[in-house]
Amino acid sequence: MPTAVALPKHLQQRYEQIFEHNQAWAAAQNERDPDFYKKLVQGQTPDYLWIGCSDARVPAELVTGLLPGEAFVHRNVANVASNVDLSMMSVIDYAIRHLKVRHIIVCGHYGCGGVQASMNSKDLGVLNPWIRNIKDVYRLHESELDAISNNKERYDRLVELNVMEQCRNIIKTDAFQESYAANDFPVVSGWVFKLHDGLIKDLKIDFRAMLEDSHKIYSITK
Amino acid sequence: MVAPTEDAFKHAMSANAAWSAYKTHQNPSFFSSLATSQKPAILWIGCSDSRVPETTILGLQPGEAFVHRNIANVINPTDLNTMSVIEFAVRYVKVQHIILCGHTNCAGCAGTLASRELGGVLDTWLTGLRTVRDAHEAELSAIQDDAERAVRLAELNVEAGTRVITANKAVQEAIKERGLQVHGTIYHVGTGILRDLGLGTAVSADGVSSVVANGVAEKREIVTGKHGVLDFSDAGAASLAVK
Repeated sequence: MPTAVALPKHLQQRYEQIFEHNQAWAAAQNERDPDFYKKLVQGQTPDYLWIGCSDARVPAELVTGLLPGEAFVHRNVANVASNVDLSMMSVIDYAIRHLKVRHIIVCGHYGCGGVQASMNSKDLGVLNPWIRNIKDVYRLHESELDAISNNKERYDRLVELNVMEQCRNIIKTDAFQESYAANDFPVVSGWVFKLHDGLIKDLKIDFRAMLEDSHKIYSITK
Repeated sequence: MVAPTEDAFKHAMSANAAWSAYKTHQNPSFFSSLATSQKPAILWIGCSDSRVPETTILGLQPGEAFVHRNIANVINPTDLNTMSVIEFAVRYVKVQHIILCGHTNCAGCAGTLASRELGGVLDTWLTGLRTVRDAHEAELSAIQDDAERAVRLAELNVEAGTRVITANKAVQEAIKERGLQVHGTIYHVGTGILRDLGLGTAVSADGVSSVVANGVAEKREIVTGKHGVLDFSDAGAASLAVK
């Protein structure tokens, strides 16, 4: 490990504050509901799987008001659900087959750095293959996106299309197909978080139609 | 057939509307300043488990922690998902702390100790956890209590993860150039408390760990012997964990 240089004092203090905050939160939560932790220790039965961006400005539980125990969460750069990413596939498998979540939410956000990077021609080293996933979304919707002359509007639209494509990727998984055929759940939603007002925009995707469309090529339940 | 819980969906949507209005009322420029850019000091890498929501348990605000969560917070050097997050957070967002967090009551740890098969892709994903289990078999099998053994495996998994993180190229450069810190922690689901394990950049070459816990800086020395771990703190407290 390389020798570390000393961290500025204010950043060190920020780190120490985290532990202070945590203790205050734990005590307050205990006061609100003395059985809260006892119930959590028994296990988790979340209704939701949240797939979101790693971006610090979109904390899943805060923006939805969900409590500990209510949402299983995976967050990565630009909320990508690639079929060769074993991490994401494991999250989907566990959430659907073992936790039996009723609802899967893919939540992107406007102003996403990962989506922005996909619209540039920069070499980003190890990030290139990851960002390529979003460039592929652009290619799938090239004519629609190219027709948008305003740069910001085109960027916003790619954020939305990326969310929809990742919903489609989830719908194509073995775990989703099998669960939906047997149980009629989970439901899949595509959302975009708006940084400028803190509100969520529901893209109102028709996930049943997406599943129907994917059957011919991707079905493994017939 | 169980109906999908549309109520829970409506609940989340209405809670979002209420939260957004509340934040704007508190600070009218809160969201407009968020929209400009993110400058989080922290990269949090934790478990996907619903009981460990980082921003809630740390009392953080939106914009304060860049977050990656996967199954059992397994850190694999060739996992492009985690490595892309680290690259983005360290080189572009320039976080000052990476906090890797494991937790108690982890189904992945309990399942690994019981050699439980999960099927699908999950058994492949959890290979990392089985590697840690097998490397510490003697220590783990000497622990009588099942829950305690699972906590110890969770700690050892965090320890292994911090080693991979500190060996990452971007992380090594940032440690050297601007004092990036790497921390290993455990969250106790049964009490809501986060505990610093004194790993990562807190450990110097001679095994001395300077841990900052409870807001009080402590100098700690951890001696790992054949039969136990001795933990000396500057504050005079010493503890012994018997293997």
